[in-house]
Amino acid sequence: MGLEQFKNRNVGTQNYTKLDLGETPANGFEQFKQVAKRTFKGELFVGLWVTLREMINALFKGQMHTVKYPFEKMPISPRYRAIHDMLRLLESGHYRCIGCGLCEKICISNCITMDTRYDENQRKEVTEYTINFGRCIFCGYCAEVCPELAIVHGPRYETASEQRASFSLFEDMLTPIDQLNLQQEYDGFGAVSPNADANIKKTPLAY
Amino acid sequence: METTLAGHAMETLPHVTWLGVLIKAIIILAVISAIAGFGTFIERKVLAFMQRRLGPMHVGPYGLLQLAADGIKLFTKEDIIPQNANKFIFMIAPIITAATAFIALAAVPVFPDFTIPSWIPLLGGTFVPSIAADLNIGILFVLGMMAAGLYGPLLAGMSQANKWGIIGAARTAVQFLSYEVVTGLSILAPIMLVGSLSFVDFNDYQSGGIGSWLIWQQPVAFVLFLIAGFAETNRTPFDLLEHEAEVVSGYATEYSGMRWGMFFIGEYANMITVSIIAAVVFLGGYSVEGIGWLTIILKVAFFFFLMLWVRASWPHIRPDQLMWLCWKVLMPIAVINIVITGIVMMV
Amino acid sequence: MSTVNIKIDGKEFAVKEGEYILNAARANDVFIPAICYLTRCSPTLACRICLVEADGKQVYACNAKVKEGMEITVDTPNILEERRAIMEVYDVNHPLQCGVCDKSGECELQNYTLELGVDSQSYMIQDTKRETTNWSSVLHYDAGLCIVCERCTTVCKDMIGDAAITTVKRGGEALDKGYKESMPKDAYSMWNKLQKSVIAPSNGTEFTDCSDCGECVAVCPVGALSSRDFVYTSNAWDLTRVPAVSAHSSDGFQIYYEVKPTSIEDRSEKIFRVTNEWNYVSLDGAARFAYDFENRDVTKDEQAFDKAVEAFKKAQTIRFNSVITNEEALMLQSLKENMGVKLYNPEVRAFQKFLGYYQKASGNRFYSTDADALMKKSDFVIAMGTALRNDSPGLKYAFNNVQKLNKGAGLYFHPVGDTLIPTFGKNVECFTHKPGLEEAALYLVLDLFADKEQLPDDVKEYIASFKSSETKTIKEKVMKDVTEMVKDEETGEEKEVTKKVPEMVEKEITVERNGLVDLLGGNSATFADTFEKMMKKKESFSMMIGEDFYYHDKAENLAKLIALVEQTSSIDLVMTPPKSNALGVALICDLDDAAEGYTVGYNENGDFRLSALGDGDLDMPAMNQQEGTLTNMSKRVVPTNAALEYGGYELNDIVSSLIDGQRETIDWTAKLPTAKGYQAVAFDSLANGYNNDGTENRGYLLKTSNRKANMPKVDKFDEASALEGEIVYRCNPARQFSDFTDKAHEIFEPFGLYASTAKAEELGKKVEVVFENGSIIVDVIADHKIEGDITKLSDFKSAQDIYTLFGESRYKTVTMRKV
Repeated sequence: MGLEQFKNRNVGTQNYTKLDLGETPANGFEQFKQVAKRTFKGELFVGLWVTLREMINALFKGQMHTVKYPFEKMPISPRYRAIHDMLRLLESGHYRCIGCGLCEKICISNCITMDTRYDENQRKEVTEYTINFGRCIFCGYCAEVCPELAIVHGPRYETASEQRASFSLFEDMLTPIDQLNLQQEYDGFGAVSPNADANIKKTPLAY
Repeated sequence: METTLAGHAMETLPHVTWLGVLIKAIIILAVISAIAGFGTFIERKVLAFMQRRLGPMHVGPYGLLQLAADGIKLFTKEDIIPQNANKFIFMIAPIITAATAFIALAAVPVFPDFTIPSWIPLLGGTFVPSIAADLNIGILFVLGMMAAGLYGPLLAGMSQANKWGIIGAARTAVQFLSYEVVTGLSILAPIMLVGSLSFVDFNDYQSGGIGSWLIWQQPVAFVLFLIAGFAETNRTPFDLLEHEAEVVSGYATEYSGMRWGMFFIGEYANMITVSIIAAVVFLGGYSVEGIGWLTIILKVAFFFFLMLWVRASWPHIRPDQLMWLCWKVLMPIAVINIVITGIVMMV
Repeated sequence: MSTVNIKIDGKEFAVKEGEYILNAARANDVFIPAICYLTRCSPTLACRICLVEADGKQVYACNAKVKEGMEITVDTPNILEERRAIMEVYDVNHPLQCGVCDKSGECELQNYTLELGVDSQSYMIQDTKRETTNWSSVLHYDAGLCIVCERCTTVCKDMIGDAAITTVKRGGEALDKGYKESMPKDAYSMWNKLQKSVIAPSNGTEFTDCSDCGECVAVCPVGALSSRDFVYTSNAWDLTRVPAVSAHSSDGFQIYYEVKPTSIEDRSEKIFRVTNEWNYVSLDGAARFAYDFENRDVTKDEQAFDKAVEAFKKAQTIRFNSVITNEEALMLQSLKENMGVKLYNPEVRAFQKFLGYYQKASGNRFYSTDADALMKKSDFVIAMGTALRNDSPGLKYAFNNVQKLNKGAGLYFHPVGDTLIPTFGKNVECFTHKPGLEEAALYLVLDLFADKEQLPDDVKEYIASFKSSETKTIKEKVMKDVTEMVKDEETGEEKEVTKKVPEMVEKEITVERNGLVDLLGGNSATFADTFEKMMKKKESFSMMIGEDFYYHDKAENLAKLIALVEQTSSIDLVMTPPKSNALGVALICDLDDAAEGYTVGYNENGDFRLSALGDGDLDMPAMNQQEGTLTNMSKRVVPTNAALEYGGYELNDIVSSLIDGQRETIDWTAKLPTAKGYQAVAFDSLANGYNNDGTENRGYLLKTSNRKANMPKVDKFDEASALEGEIVYRCNPARQFSDFTDKAHEIFEPFGLYASTAKAEELGKKVEVVFENGSIIVDVIADHKIEGDITKLSDFKSAQDIYTLFGESRYKTVTMRKV
């Protein structure tokens, strides 16, 4: 077997489009022609026009791109993964978290911890929940794995704070009860897919 | 040649005293420094607009006080001198840049002359001239001073014991020395036409309205002077001395605080100087009547804006291209321009 | 043991004869699904999922024994269909609360549902509400999650012996008739039973009457049974398992401490629960629930340490107990050898002496068997000198297991009557004799089991001297046929009906009397027949000896009698070392009879106290905070690991500053005395686990040695030495062994005087028990499992110094004063 196939290093199909750069000047005269052509063709003025045009557009046609950040904010994608929120049930106001610990398990930087106990109503109560944001890499696995859509990534991407702990306790992340009507459903990873119904098999029920 | 401001009003002008010159010097120093600083603000604003940004916005209305903030910052920053630097030279190098830039302005007509009202104590009645030193070899002096400005970056780069500084210094020497030639040769043709080295004579020569501007007689010289001016003032596309992508900050790498600020002021003062020269030599300068003095400000402003505009639009070039352009293109064209001008004048 | 060759899925295996297919497969790493089967218990056939095809027939692998040349197929299409149907049925109405369920992650229902690929449900029935209840202070039962596999009831009956829980009926919808046709057969019948049943305490109340061992919790495949303390506190996967050894009873059960950080605020590790390899070892309540006895928040107190070193230099005696590792025992022994200090350990001293007597008389270094071997082999067990329920849970389980699984029989000799032990099996005979007559019991054993040819003549004669025969008239029930005419009320026809009617007939018979039986509280008239029945088809005999013998006045004679029993019969012997590491201490330390002078107490009273309980002059690590080895009842040196961190000084630090020591405690492991049977192996090379076929792979067995000994010369016993009057027996409640079990928060048994219900009523709430050398005021606690007038006084609180009150005996005649 020959080595031809190894010597051909053009891997893949060659679908390049060549730009029309003209001929490369071969001698002094051609070089001179090229310089002269470029000099008098006014290419440089095209460049000047472009920047001037943008300036006019920005100043007089309202096409300024700057967002004055602390005063103005861009809308963020529902898939954006910022500081976590813990959501509540809309009907009862009780927090959604059931303390199953899946987020704790799946967390690849091992930064989620929770304390649970058996409460008076024979339910699992989450007494405390914390995310170590010094370690969190905002991968979104916790939100994706959460069976109750309880832990989600919220819109708070401004994470500067005097205390790292400022975001990390259960009550910091939980929707305040008086703002329950403002609670937004999460559309990012882990949310119910639009065709969820079609993907589930039904279980027979006697009643 | 006679030292005149404007021939027809010569008799009415009072005598220029040392006090007037001193006041003028202080005014130039203060105003040009301020304008140089303001220039940085304008530069940032213009560049921002051209990129559809807002530029500095938060200090003062529309960020106008950004200049003050920057000034405070520059003044209060620690002045670091590298351990292995030649300390004396390192310390005086920025002063050379700033000083030569301002000295050059001494022979340039900057603002119209005026007499201080007599009710002001001490200074009352003092005549302040438009040119601090109305030399009859004004242009030669200005070009000479600007050439001397070469020592600023050169010494700075060599004294700081930093390889980027050395490279910056080498580029300084090469670029400035080379383009001195083009500046000199390009402006020689207008000088031949006017027959004087005084800015006032240039101004007078073109006082006949737009049609009498030298740019129409010497378009090639104008273009050459402009290109060389960019190179002399270290502006894009010829900002090889301190190009960040290649040599960190070139000769200014180790500078901080106000010393670095002096390079900046020098650079902007030079930009103003070049703009004024271009305006006076090629675009008719100013006229004394009415608000004629405003025209020179507009012309200078245009050149200043052009420098920013070019910076926003064009990429910079390689050092070898720079040399090629200077010696193989601009210099021959300048010589040919002089020869043709000479022939035309003779014939 | 003979082997047979079988083929599973085409692969040849040589397996033990008489083994169930399932066990044979498991021993050879072949997977057959099974939910309800427990290795050491009888098959319940509740889940029916272990269905396999053997020689073309469908059999249940847990219930069918291997035969030579048997060909087994694990999966056939039909079996797979059955199994899937069974798993679907198990999933019908099973609450979908895996998210909060404690079992999630180690749940067999989850595992098998996945394994058998159940991705849809074909069956349905209306659910019934089933309540969550607490059965006892430790047991929590969530009936809704229960799949009625009956593992809990099986283990409680077959292994633990309490039989405290059972399957009961619950109301529930009847299955749709159509299912009978459409469903696989086994799945239908399993469902039919599942739908009707639930588990409940067997005594008909809401609460179990049991020893709270928690083995039912361990075997539960789903989250139905859990310990009350553990419910909803942690997920299984968050816990780190630390293999260790139970520190309380001398059984030395292998356990896993399961640890994780206490809480978000307190990141120090905490033991959340104890688990075990429930197929191979069953724990008692102390091993499972007494785990939080650690010495918390200890730092290095240099001043106290210096004082401790001073105290050791000054000390004439070191007093300690058996809650100590082999390594520590060796350190103390080294101190004795180097500094001449006395070692005082009343718990172990008697056992050490007894072991010495036994070794001298029998020529064996150790007794011959252990609880595990006993369960595998024996079908006749004799227990004497031990309060089986309290002293040694491992032997209690073995005694019970032999009755249940080996169709065995048992003799139980003990002065304190017990209501539980007779329930272990039909063929269990209990002798409630007077304390002091233990020798008579051994003579009876000689009479019943010894090869008469081998017995020395004087013994033979002595035994014969108790025999007599007499004639007696007894009444016997005889069935007599009576014919009468009955009129059928519906048809009006008269019919002749023959009925059997009992009638009493007087009869004269000759009865062989055995004075020994009568002396021990039995009835020799009926015993002969009973014994004959008991001996049917029995091949392997074993005897359990307990603490009463060690603290007996005639301990030496008892040891000789035991040696004689061993020599003249085929009975295997097992002894119960009193507590945790008593055997290790007995072997390693050269103990003294009494303490004198300045005493350093290690977890015991003393002038200077080292304590792992947190109340001493210098803190020591508790058993769950240190590494080391223990010598358990099975004569096995087993390693235990530190589950929790400990920041203070260890005994090794003190010893190192006194004599040439070792760098680490575990460096002593290889120095254990080889003359006593130990091996010079490093701690880190000791294994701690079980193999798939159930063989114990933990540490190493002590080397035994057998020397040919002469027939021991035994003394006759003195009937008059039997104690009379008010007798107190030094005995702990089940689950309590030492201050450490008492410290644990899930052990609730109080310190006190345990008495039968009648006796407790007579004594009142509180009594002063007056001994010869002191008295103690204690609460009286009624224990309905005790029979008779002898009361049990706990000794687990070292501060009460019960050992001094009892002296060299376990039974004392006392005066009770009402308080």
